[in-house]
Amino acid sequence: MKDERFEEIRHDYQTIPIPAELRERVTAAMEEAKTELASSASGKCNSASLIGGQKRRGVFSWRKFLLRTAGVAAAAMLAITIMANSSESIAYAMSNVPILKSIVRIVTFREYNHSNEEMEANLKIPTVSIEDENGQPVENATAQLNHQIEDYTNQIIEAYQNDVKASGGEGAQSVSLDYEVVTDNDRLFTLRFNQSIVMASGTELVKIYNLDKTTGNLLKLEDLFQEGSDYITAISDSIKSQMKSQMAADESVSYFYQTDVPETDFSQITGEENFYISDSGKLTLVFDEYTVAPGYMGVVEFEIPTEAIQGIAADGFVK
Amino acid sequence: MSTPLIPQVEELILTSYESMYRLAYSYVKNEEDAMDIVQESAYKAIKSASTLRNPEHLKTWLWRIVINTSIDFIRTRQEEFTGDLPIEPSTEDRYPDFDTIEALNILNDRERAVVILRFFEDKKIRDVAKIMGQSPNTIKSILYRSLKKLKIKLSEGELLYER
Repeated sequence: MKDERFEEIRHDYQTIPIPAELRERVTAAMEEAKTELASSASGKCNSASLIGGQKRRGVFSWRKFLLRTAGVAAAAMLAITIMANSSESIAYAMSNVPILKSIVRIVTFREYNHSNEEMEANLKIPTVSIEDENGQPVENATAQLNHQIEDYTNQIIEAYQNDVKASGGEGAQSVSLDYEVVTDNDRLFTLRFNQSIVMASGTELVKIYNLDKTTGNLLKLEDLFQEGSDYITAISDSIKSQMKSQMAADESVSYFYQTDVPETDFSQITGEENFYISDSGKLTLVFDEYTVAPGYMGVVEFEIPTEAIQGIAADGFVK
Repeated sequence: MSTPLIPQVEELILTSYESMYRLAYSYVKNEEDAMDIVQESAYKAIKSASTLRNPEHLKTWLWRIVINTSIDFIRTRQEEFTGDLPIEPSTEDRYPDFDTIEALNILNDRERAVVILRFFEDKKIRDVAKIMGQSPNTIKSILYRSLKKLKIKLSEGELLYER
């Protein structure tokens, strides 16, 4: 026998509304605690985790802790591509020691936090470790990937610091960087960075690293295809037909394809786009803002049907 | 950071902060204070994760932090108000739109926490006992007494049923 009134109380309790900002506040509190632990452990203030100007003001004064310069929504987005680059990956490819069944882990992440007035930066920077099947660290590959990540994030930090300097700290800007592991299976480990810069308008940038776990190499799009195959055309055609059908199906969708300004229309991919392969083996390309669509479309992604690249795909990646 | 428990504590907090918030809310009955309590609890939990020897107790330990923090909060505020200022019946001190939960105000803080943990958060009596630092028998008698105050009739089975 259920007591109805009691059920009602229980229901109302369980549906006490949760304020939207709670999660963010909780996360901030935990980060604060971790930063304090880290700096007291090392005995000095870690330069990578300075929380500029934000001091905890005694017990129960969390509400002022988070200086949210909210309201500047990321209206438009932009993605840039910095591909896993050249010499280093190639050098490593030459030595090409197969690392079978390697394990890739995010071992630590450090943060770069800065804020004053209307400028703030919050970056999460992971460090990865790659181990072979015996649990031995694979130092070359680990160093290579971490180095790439560091270069990439240092560029972001430097650009931000230059902006702070240039504006004498009076500018209005918010930069954040977060990461996610998109794919982690026997063959691939894919790490994706999402960066957003909010100034007058917002910008979103994506950077994706695809690590081939069997070789320790960072993959380029061309590595997914057989040598000499025309994957550029195959992928481009698939994207164009997707653009066409999406626009036909939904008026709010718009791409630079068959527009009144043919010069700026999408004709083909460069091969330098960000991409990832999902756990189920589907290739997806991620595009810069303005390169293939108007700003309001943001970062756009196209999943390439495996049939479209059948016969030219290299073994082992796309399914 | 030397304690391997921190990631576990972090994960637990991220999956339970909503429940933590509701419990805190039942003490202070307003949003801002409840959020402060949850933040403070999360902060304390991470900071003191290294003192926790047995990870099995993680869950009860976290709830205990929330309860202690809530009680501290109320105490701190009462001290601020001592003196000639009478404590005004604040309009904030209501559950918004939830007439039914007001019924819980008939219980004291401890009774209410026990009822919430047992029936609304579906904790086992044994765990409620650990959280509250009481014996299981004491928890049972608090439950009987509380339901009586609330004029709620549950069968023995419903009272003791554990999933």
